[in-house]
Amino acid sequence: MATRLPLAGVKILDFMWVLAGPGITRAMADYGATVVRIESVERIDPTRTVGPFKDNNTGAEHSALFGNNNAGKLGLSLDLKKPEARAIVLDLVRWADVVCEAFSPKAMRAWGFDYESLRTVKPDLIMLSTCLMGQTGPLAGFAGFGNLAAALCGFYNLVGWPDRSPSGPFSAYTDYIAPRFGLIALMAALIHRKRTGEGQYIDQAQAESALQFLTLPIIDTVGSGRQYSPVGNDDLEHAPHGIYPAVGDDRWVAIACRTQDQWHALCAAMDQPHLSDDPRFKTVAMRRQHRTELDRAIGEWTRARTPLETERILQAREVPAHTVANTFDANADPQLLHREHFVRVNHPAAGETVVENSRYKFSRTPAEVKRAAPSLGGDNQYVLEELLGYSDDHISDLVASGVLG
Amino acid sequence: MSAGAQPNGTPRIATLTGCRVLDLTTERGLMCGQILGDLGADVIKVEPPGGSAVRSLAPFFGDQADPERSVYWWAYNRNKRGITLDLDTAEGRDLMRQLAACADFVIESDHPGAMARRGLGYDDLSALNPALVYVSITPFGPDGPKASYADSDLIMMAASGVLILYGDEDRPPIRMSVPQAYLHACADAAGAALIAYYDRLNTGLGQQLDITAQESLGMATQSTLLAATIGGDETRRMAGGVKMGPIRVPLVWEAKDGLVTCVFLFGSALGVFTRKLMNYIYELGFCDQATRDKDWIAYADMLLTGREPIAEYERVKGVVANFLRSMTKAESFDLARQHGFLIAPLATIDDVLQNPQFIAREYWQTIEDRDLGLKLTYPGPFARFGATPIEYRRRPPRVGEHNRELFVGDLGLSEREFGDLARRRII
Repeated sequence: MATRLPLAGVKILDFMWVLAGPGITRAMADYGATVVRIESVERIDPTRTVGPFKDNNTGAEHSALFGNNNAGKLGLSLDLKKPEARAIVLDLVRWADVVCEAFSPKAMRAWGFDYESLRTVKPDLIMLSTCLMGQTGPLAGFAGFGNLAAALCGFYNLVGWPDRSPSGPFSAYTDYIAPRFGLIALMAALIHRKRTGEGQYIDQAQAESALQFLTLPIIDTVGSGRQYSPVGNDDLEHAPHGIYPAVGDDRWVAIACRTQDQWHALCAAMDQPHLSDDPRFKTVAMRRQHRTELDRAIGEWTRARTPLETERILQAREVPAHTVANTFDANADPQLLHREHFVRVNHPAAGETVVENSRYKFSRTPAEVKRAAPSLGGDNQYVLEELLGYSDDHISDLVASGVLG
Repeated sequence: MSAGAQPNGTPRIATLTGCRVLDLTTERGLMCGQILGDLGADVIKVEPPGGSAVRSLAPFFGDQADPERSVYWWAYNRNKRGITLDLDTAEGRDLMRQLAACADFVIESDHPGAMARRGLGYDDLSALNPALVYVSITPFGPDGPKASYADSDLIMMAASGVLILYGDEDRPPIRMSVPQAYLHACADAAGAALIAYYDRLNTGLGQQLDITAQESLGMATQSTLLAATIGGDETRRMAGGVKMGPIRVPLVWEAKDGLVTCVFLFGSALGVFTRKLMNYIYELGFCDQATRDKDWIAYADMLLTGREPIAEYERVKGVVANFLRSMTKAESFDLARQHGFLIAPLATIDDVLQNPQFIAREYWQTIEDRDLGLKLTYPGPFARFGATPIEYRRRPPRVGEHNRELFVGDLGLSEREFGDLARRRII
């Protein structure tokens, strides 16, 4: 008998797009929720236009970014500007337990789909709005992507070399934090509703969620007046601690000695036990002080090996070390393969493709990636007929009206 | 604090009121319990006698190395009570089993197998309490070829495929200067714990949840991790931007008085923003009509197919750079807000604290410790709940602060037994 997934029976009407929103409902679909993803044909989800692309085909159905964030969902295309859309949306609201949206704050209000309006249709509705800066305040209207929130939150100024302008984190950093908190918020609201019968509205500002990850420097800046600026790969506590060259184009290995024993083990592994006794390298404080010489000595050893060789030699001696993995390494990583991190799915338009598995393993109710991300409007018939019970005539009229795009 | 309006004046009950969490985590797992505490759970942080090793981590308030002054400890232990218990003694383990028998969640982040060796693994505790949700946070997982690998923040950033995307192309990759790896895992662990708890409300049964930093961090690659397996182009790092094939996309640009981020991208969704920006740049006289009128929707394809030379793209980026350099950060941000451009200043932590948006939303929360003379400012709630607002009720606990409440009050030890355990350093 198949296990009943934790969220089986939970119905979600998903108006979200781009990155921060869809990651939330992807996780809920993995654990059994039925998610109807609304998409506009006219303004397609920007992630459909961002790579990596299956076979480098830049068509709207080939983005692995969209595919990864939307696997397991049903796709309904709607032109929300058309009057016929309103009745469909309200029927879906009656069907749903949860409505979530990731537009800039005024959009849902303009369509009459704000929480106050929708709860007249569904009194115990749970609704989540997630946007860059929140629904209220002077910057409420400032919309955009996670690189903008990452800059405004201070993340960009925390990646870089001390002698250069900051490099910033990769791409839209806060978009990789916010979905985790959005999921927490929705699950908390579902738990509360199950206990009390009460729904609620949740205002998630991507910036406010992401700043949880900077709690330490914020407390410290206010409490101690310390200024935080980027320090390359330096660490307050540990040395050696860095990224060292390896054989190959853009190949690197990370090494981080966290204890004195690990430092001695590293010297032994490099067959340079004299470094252990070198007065410049005796303590962490001295190693940090003589970092340049230290890193040079280690780099000379690592540069003669592939990153994987160094990783294995050092890990065999319990020294923290790892290849700086690129996409090719990740796809061959025996640990990720062991954990079935990559899941093959069949996409109606792009054919067989790959998504990441759930990011966690449940012992009794493991995640199921039941289907690939929807093609644009790919489940219109199913959603209208099976979920809403519309007649064939009704559906034909809707198709003719152009409301389905 | 008040984080949301209560519609009908009924008393607010936090979501996880009445739930008990035993937080056995090391430095890897602290934030997970804090999130459950924010949601109202009674979180008991369990430390070894003498205090958690986290308390010896720098930085310290006033640079005084003191177990009660570690910033790291303060950052991720609010809304928790604290007890000490030596889990490496038989009596300590027995007390832990008594606590676990009536707990709702256990969170641990020890080395794989370490809890089971103490008789405190999922199998041991679920036998006493089948409804228990047991959360394990590890670097790579409980089993598999890398399960016993030694780890750190830097190692996990490297192993996850994130680090290779960070930094300048002419230098080695770099991590963020404030550790991040396990925070991703902790946030995932809290979400997973709530999914399992929701399931428990239906079934009455708990289960074990296995969260790894390596997999959690995958999300921070923006799916570029999948490129090799689907035959897509590899994304590579560059200073202040990313390289997608031959296209060098800058995300950090110079302003008159510092740096801003600006999205200058193409395609049917993002090209619309670029068209709007180029219209404005043209009006200010920074470019000619032909530059303004390029097909910003199809531009990436034109570059990839060679219909537009890369050199011309570089010239156009120079135009945008001149425009951004002609203004202060504040001026271009004002323009962005007025016109919907994708531009924002690169903030320092001080800038973040002064940002009028967070101030207007009363985001910052203060927790005061008069005994230590500390007044700490925390980032506020991660979301605003209409019915169940998050409250910061408690400062982080001191070493063993709630031992008596738990061992005498809850478990019913006599004062004599309690004193005896304390003397023998079991608590």
